[in-house]
Amino acid sequence: MKHVLIFLFWLLVAVVAIALTIVLGERGAWYFAWVLGTVMIVLIAAAGTAIIDARYDEHQDDQY
Amino acid sequence: MQELDTVIELSRTQFAATALYHYLFVPLTLGLSVLLATMETIYVITGRDIYRQMTHFWSKLFAINFALGVATGLTMEFEFGTNWSTYSHFVGDIFGAPLAIEGLMAFFLESTFVGLMLFGWGKLSRGKHLLVTYMVALGSNLSALWILVANGYMQNPVGSVFNPDTMRMELTSLPDLIFSPEAQAKFVHTSIAGYVTAAIFVVGISAFYLLRRRHIELAKRSFRVAALFGVFATVGVISLGDALGFINGSAQPTKLAAMEGLWETAEAPAGFNLIAWPNQEEKRNDFELQVPYLLTPLVTHTFDESIPGVSDLEVDAEAKIRDGIPALTALKALRENPDDAEARATFDAHQDNLGYALLVQRYVEDVSQATDAQIAKAAADTIPPVAPVFWSFRVMVVAAFLMMAFLILAVIYSLRGTLHRHNGFLRLAPWMIPVPFIANEAGWIVAELGRQPWTVYGQLPTWLSASTHSVGYMIFSLVGFVLLYTLFIVIEMFLMVKFIRLGPSEDRRESPVEPTQRHSSQWSEA
Repeated sequence: MKHVLIFLFWLLVAVVAIALTIVLGERGAWYFAWVLGTVMIVLIAAAGTAIIDARYDEHQDDQY
Repeated sequence: MQELDTVIELSRTQFAATALYHYLFVPLTLGLSVLLATMETIYVITGRDIYRQMTHFWSKLFAINFALGVATGLTMEFEFGTNWSTYSHFVGDIFGAPLAIEGLMAFFLESTFVGLMLFGWGKLSRGKHLLVTYMVALGSNLSALWILVANGYMQNPVGSVFNPDTMRMELTSLPDLIFSPEAQAKFVHTSIAGYVTAAIFVVGISAFYLLRRRHIELAKRSFRVAALFGVFATVGVISLGDALGFINGSAQPTKLAAMEGLWETAEAPAGFNLIAWPNQEEKRNDFELQVPYLLTPLVTHTFDESIPGVSDLEVDAEAKIRDGIPALTALKALRENPDDAEARATFDAHQDNLGYALLVQRYVEDVSQATDAQIAKAAADTIPPVAPVFWSFRVMVVAAFLMMAFLILAVIYSLRGTLHRHNGFLRLAPWMIPVPFIANEAGWIVAELGRQPWTVYGQLPTWLSASTHSVGYMIFSLVGFVLLYTLFIVIEMFLMVKFIRLGPSEDRRESPVEPTQRHSSQWSEA
């Protein structure tokens, strides 16, 4: 049940993010948004993955 | 006329087939190149060899896909000249520019750096190799940019004017062409759809390894980076899909009507057709299931605007055809006598709707003699095939939301470190791999079939765009392409499965040259 609630919460966050983008940008500067968005996605994905090493250095378990 | 119709349909089928095959490879290249750059960034920052192995392994799969993508893409550029010669003559001055830039700038950039990326391990320093990988990602996406600028022009022709003396469209503003809202939204939507494709691909294969407890260190990191990469990309791709729909609403109202199955103009607040059986012959939906009030804000971003339906759009098209007929008649007079001032004045006054008059020429050679029935028939032609556009759009949207939900779950499980407890999810993940490919193909069908009956919307009808090949030639080349491209798909699948089964290579011989190593080699050389 907890997992379902967490999932629904983040699903709601995603839907709100989409709704905000729709409201804010109809004919936006999409090329600029692409550059900015790609850099953001790369950095967040890289940082979120690098955390694995810190975590496994601490626990040394075989969980993933 | 019947043979001409057959040739046009065969030309369309051939282009659709080659484009759909090609488009199976493109999105993965676009996304995986950026994902590789992300993986290598972590390697350069952390210095951990596992990230080099990750980049190295996924770049093998990237290389297979890239090679076959190039092989299937090259023929398409030639197809414009061989099968669509009238189209190429009509818009060559505009369409040729972005395609040439794509070839000379983006594709050469991408191809040159792909070689360095694949064979530069062990020869370039970490930083230089990372730069090379980013150049591959940039080149791939710039390549898509120029193609989509050209395609954006076909959807919404801006920055050009028709010259009656040369019978060609001529470029008046390159910035208008490059920065048209259609091109911008289309490029970003397509590029990010590639990110999602790559993310689901990497998550699916990583889940396969985790389930079989093979290459766990590589798989759990690949899973994490792809899931995070993909979850943001899905939000982006859905948002840009909406922006593209909004832009289409004003630029191509006929496509919007087909996407939404709207036969009559929908007054605000209109309901959204969740499911419907469009009946084009009777111009109604045989069955429809609506979500009330949703369509108006979704499409117009307001609560009070009406959305034109097929019936009103046909009336509008009829008026445009009647307005365009004097332009076409004057154009013929100008071709005989370019100094005919009266004909030029008539042409200038009506040239905005010249393309609509060309639609009626399909039914009558001398358009000034067109009957009401022929004009009505041509007006009905302005509506694309509703059912395939309507359903392709829904397949794409459902797939996008499905992938978003899947990637949110993937991120939650990965960040909480509980993936090993969710074998069901890990089993599901490889089966998700076809979903983005289906969504991409469906999106392409919406964009291109929804543009019919035009090759260049409102300017050049499809029926006038094709070359005059024989039916036999078209069937021969179509069968040839289908067989060849099917073989390419089989080769791709075989190589992908082979390298996925083999898994990552664990050897360290190919790690990029470290600064200290370079120093020592320089010392020894000295």
